[in-house]
Amino acid sequence: MLMSVALLVPWVSGVLLVAFDGRRRVVTWLAVVSLLVTLAVLGVLAVEVFTGGGSEVVTGGWAPGVGIVLRADALGVAFAWLSVLVLLAGAAHEAIGRVRSRTFPGLVVLLAAGLTGLFVTADVFTFYVFFELAMTASYALSAYGGKRRQLRAALVFTAVNLLGSFIFLLSVAGAYRVTGTLAMDQVAQRMLTVNPNAAILIAAGFFIAFSVKLGLFPFHFWLPTVYAGSRPAVAAILSGAVANIGAYGLLRFGAGIFPEQLRLTGVALAVLGAVSIVYGGVLAIGRGDTAEMLAYSAIGQVGYVLVALGVGGPVGLTAAVLYSVVNSLNKALLFLASGTRGPLVAAAFAIGALSVAGVPPTAGFVGKLELFRTGVVAGSVALVVLLVAGSVLSLVYLFQVYQRRFWREGPPPAGARSPLPQRLITAVLALLVLATGLWPEPLLALSGQAVDALLAGAPG
Amino acid sequence: MILAFALTAAVLFGSGAYLLLKRDLIRMVAGIMLISQCAVVTLLASSLSRGQAAIAVRPGDLVSDPLPQALALTALVIGLATVAMLLALVHRAIVVFRTTEQDELAATESEHDAGLEAERRAEREEVENGPDEEWEPHTEDGRVR
Repeated sequence: MLMSVALLVPWVSGVLLVAFDGRRRVVTWLAVVSLLVTLAVLGVLAVEVFTGGGSEVVTGGWAPGVGIVLRADALGVAFAWLSVLVLLAGAAHEAIGRVRSRTFPGLVVLLAAGLTGLFVTADVFTFYVFFELAMTASYALSAYGGKRRQLRAALVFTAVNLLGSFIFLLSVAGAYRVTGTLAMDQVAQRMLTVNPNAAILIAAGFFIAFSVKLGLFPFHFWLPTVYAGSRPAVAAILSGAVANIGAYGLLRFGAGIFPEQLRLTGVALAVLGAVSIVYGGVLAIGRGDTAEMLAYSAIGQVGYVLVALGVGGPVGLTAAVLYSVVNSLNKALLFLASGTRGPLVAAAFAIGALSVAGVPPTAGFVGKLELFRTGVVAGSVALVVLLVAGSVLSLVYLFQVYQRRFWREGPPPAGARSPLPQRLITAVLALLVLATGLWPEPLLALSGQAVDALLAGAPG
Repeated sequence: MILAFALTAAVLFGSGAYLLLKRDLIRMVAGIMLISQCAVVTLLASSLSRGQAAIAVRPGDLVSDPLPQALALTALVIGLATVAMLLALVHRAIVVFRTTEQDELAATESEHDAGLEAERRAEREEVENGPDEEWEPHTEDGRVR
């Protein structure tokens, strides 16, 4: 019941809001209110899921197995809540400033509907439908601003991610061909008995599709143009909310449906993640543009998630969930801070930078700590060295930019101060990052429970 | 039957990927359309390999699985929407940039980079010459420029 409400609120209000002129204040604030309501409903649902186990809805009143099943477990609800929170911050940031296009508010709300849907569905094809709903909204959002750079960013983003979506669809077709079902748990069960060659091919298709979304090393080529070219609020939404699709997909499909294939390719994934960390970190140093530096940093940061996933096991997966959550908060904070000027912003940016580097008492420290634990459990010296090197690189590139932006002598750079509420949003996100670092138990418990839910559903 | 489906899907994907790598934006859209059709063909092939269509079945007939048809229909609609969206973007790009070549679009990015580089150089020089007033640029033969 709650789950249907959480889906219907953004869906219906998004469709209605797209029809109105989003440059009018009323429409923009209605979108923010609709996101707030969604966030509240998801919060209640999350509490319900964490205290009493998952909740399940079968669409259309069909028997389970015939109708499409939507199942909210700890992993899905956590990702949905986080993504809507980032969308809310991005939408409020633009609402306080000035919305420049008529479709912006409606598209953000529709994006919330798509994301919530794909995080709670337990059906492979419905996942694709919600995935496309979310992606189509973000294709249109990436052109927001309408200048030449944004337009080019939107073209690159759309072309590359459409290719990724169709590769996902091809893998869905493959999975249906070999298992004859679309329900995730049944696919996972029957995948154990299919020809291993076919299974690994299908798993590779899913992996490529999600890596493109996430911007992992060999599939990252589109990411700098898009994150640096789009407006700061949109970049925050893309890297803080839309990229969650990739992280969630890798966890859900990798650990939930293809655990055997994940075990087989664990080393390869960890190596890819390591390359991502080093590549993103090295290229982020010496970027003139804050947004461009953050884009390369994003490539490096998702590498950590892949390394943790590659190590696997309960410890590795917990670290992967935890780091995805922390990374999404960091990126939203840093991109929003890069688009704001005035007092409070420098402090917020510094907190974000420390969190990316993993310095206590920020949320990033908890994430890095879990990753170190993964490295120790895996018994790999190389992994621990890599983590330290990655952290040092991120400290270097972030404070280089910090110095250039905030420690400059003379008159402040062109452009007036941002309005106080806009700076407050950034400050609130920074406080959230700090609070998570100071009191990490809820986040740790959440990640642990999410992984338990994930492993409970997995076969074998 | 399966071989025919596989060949069709392979040819569609191959030509789509070839067009996608072209510099022309319109060809790129055509490439994506072909790849989306490849996905639909694969969905159909995934189990439409036996029996009659699931409408007006006579007793004793083999019935084909109706699910891939439903999936293919949904995928077609989604493909239509996304390709329409992409075409609108390309149209906008052609109106703004007055070109369909990807290279000329990329020129925007290098202009932006050049702007940043100039800004950084100005900043460096400011740091170097700013505080010390006596410094004057000299050419090699000692004359003031």
